[in-house]
Amino acid sequence: MLALRDLQAAFAALLEGEDQPGLFDAIVSDTISAPARLRVHRHHVAQSLTGALAATFPTVQAIAGEAFFRTMAMEFVAEELPVQPVLAEYGEGFPAFVSGYGPAATLAYLGDMARLDWALNLAYHTPMVPRLAAPDLAGLPADRLFELKLGLAAGSTLVRSPWPIDRIWQAAQPEAPEGMVSLEDGPAAVLVLRRPDDAAFASLETSEAAFVSALAGGTSLGEAAEAAFSVEPAFDPSTAFARLLALEAFAAAQHEA
Amino acid sequence: MKPVVGIGLRSPHLAEIARDRPATGFLEIHAENYLAPSPARGTLERLREDYEVSVHAVGLSLGSVDGLDEVHLDRVATLIRRLEPALVSDHLAWSVLTGRYFNDLLPLPYTEEALGVVERNVQRLQERLGRQVLVENPSCYLAFAHSTLSEPAFLAELARRTGCGLLLDANNIVVTAHNLRLDPGAWLDGLPVTAVGQYHLAGHAVNDADGEPLLIDDHGSRVGEGVWALFDEIVRRYGPRPTLVEWDTDLPALDVLLGEARRAEQALGIEANARAA
Repeated sequence: MLALRDLQAAFAALLEGEDQPGLFDAIVSDTISAPARLRVHRHHVAQSLTGALAATFPTVQAIAGEAFFRTMAMEFVAEELPVQPVLAEYGEGFPAFVSGYGPAATLAYLGDMARLDWALNLAYHTPMVPRLAAPDLAGLPADRLFELKLGLAAGSTLVRSPWPIDRIWQAAQPEAPEGMVSLEDGPAAVLVLRRPDDAAFASLETSEAAFVSALAGGTSLGEAAEAAFSVEPAFDPSTAFARLLALEAFAAAQHEA
Repeated sequence: MKPVVGIGLRSPHLAEIARDRPATGFLEIHAENYLAPSPARGTLERLREDYEVSVHAVGLSLGSVDGLDEVHLDRVATLIRRLEPALVSDHLAWSVLTGRYFNDLLPLPYTEEALGVVERNVQRLQERLGRQVLVENPSCYLAFAHSTLSEPAFLAELARRTGCGLLLDANNIVVTAHNLRLDPGAWLDGLPVTAVGQYHLAGHAVNDADGEPLLIDDHGSRVGEGVWALFDEIVRRYGPRPTLVEWDTDLPALDVLLGEARRAEQALGIEANARAA
C-alpha cells in the first residue's frame, strides 16, 4: 500500500510523462484498465493547460493556427508546469520557448507576438493606479520639468521588435479585414498599458521608444530626451511628452503629506 | 443562504450580465480567476452590489499531503474579504505537489491517512477564512485498491471532524457511479443532512476507454436527464439547497444557461428568482 506522499509523487511523475507501473498496481482495474483510467487525467492536464496558454496568447494562436498552437503549447507544458493555481500568471517563459521553437522558425516574429500577448496579459491583471495628468505639472518651470523622473504606470511594458508587431497584431484580430502585412514594415515599438476597462498598446516612433525606454530605466526627462536625440536628431521632446501624458502612461506623482 | 438557483459567471457572459442584470439567485465565480485586480474583477465587484456571490475555489488542493499553499490561501482570503460571499467551496481532491500545479482535480485514496490530511487542510482553510467552507464530491475516473472508506463515508466523517459543509454535485455522483460501477442512489445513503449546504448541476461527456463508455465531467453541455433524475432524489432526501448550474466549456448563449437554472428551480420546488437588480 502506497503512503499518500508516495502516491502523490508517483501520480505527479506520471502526469509529467514518466512510467509508473507501481501506480497502475494501486488502481482498481476491471474492463477499463488502470492506464486507460489514468489517461483521463493526463489528457485533462495537457488540454486544460494548453487551453490556458491559448487564452493568454490569443494572437500567437490566431497566427499559428489552433492545431500548430496546441502542439507547441503541449511541448511547453511538458517542460514547464504552473507553479501556482492562477492560470493568468502561467506562461511567462512561453515567449522565449516560442522564439526557440524549431517548427515555428519560418514565423520569425512569433516569439515577439508572444511577448506582446504576455505584456497585454500582465497589464490587464495589474491594478489601475492614478495617472499623471497635465494639470499636475502646471506652474512647473521648464528647467525643473527636465529634472523630473517620472515612473511609467504599473503594468506598462515597452515591447520592441524588428518586425511590425503592431500591424501583425491588428491583422490577427478576429474582426480584422483580409489583408497582408509586409514584414518590411518593421521594426516596431509599442507601449502596452493598463486602461480602466482593458489593456491596450500604442505604437511608438523609434525615438519615442528610446525616450520611454530611458524613462522606464529611471532617468530624468532631460536625460531621456538626450537618449531620443541620439536616435533621431529631430526628436521633439515636448510633443512626445504631451503624447505620453495623453496616453496616461505615467503614474501619478507621489505627493508628500 | 436561501435555496435559490445561481449561474456561473464566465468571462464571455460578463459584459452581457453587467449590462442586462438577468434575474438569478446568485453568481458563482472561480476564485482563481478573480485574484488579480483586473477590469473583470472591477465588474464583479460592481455586480456584487446587486447579487449574492458564491466563491468556488479550484486550486486550494485540500488533499495535498504537504498542506495548503499559504501564499495562495492569503490571496483567496483577501478576495473573500472583498466579496463577502454567501458560500465558499473547493473539492475533495488534490492538484499541487511541491510547487507544481496540475490544474486537475486529482483523486485521493479514501483512507484514514488521507482523511487526516484533508481534515488538517480544511481546518486550516476554515481558520484562515474565519468561516465554514463546503467540500465538493469530485468526479472520479479511478479508484485506489487500498481505499478503506466509501467516498460518502469519507465526506461524512470529514464534515463531522471539521464542521465543514458538503457540496453535493449531482453530475459528479452520476459520473463517479458510472465510472466506478456504483449505485448512485446508494451513494446518497447516510450523508449528514445538516452538513449538506449546496448542490451543483452540470453536463458531462461520454468518452471511450478500452472500448467502454467512460463519463467525463466537462461542464460542456446541458444537464443530462440522468442527472436531473438523481437531483430529484437528492432534493427528496436532503431538501432544497442553493443550487448552481455549471457550464464552463462550449459556453452557450446566456439564455440557455438561464433556462437550465429555471428547470433547477422547478426541481427544487421554488418560485422563480426575483429580478436581482
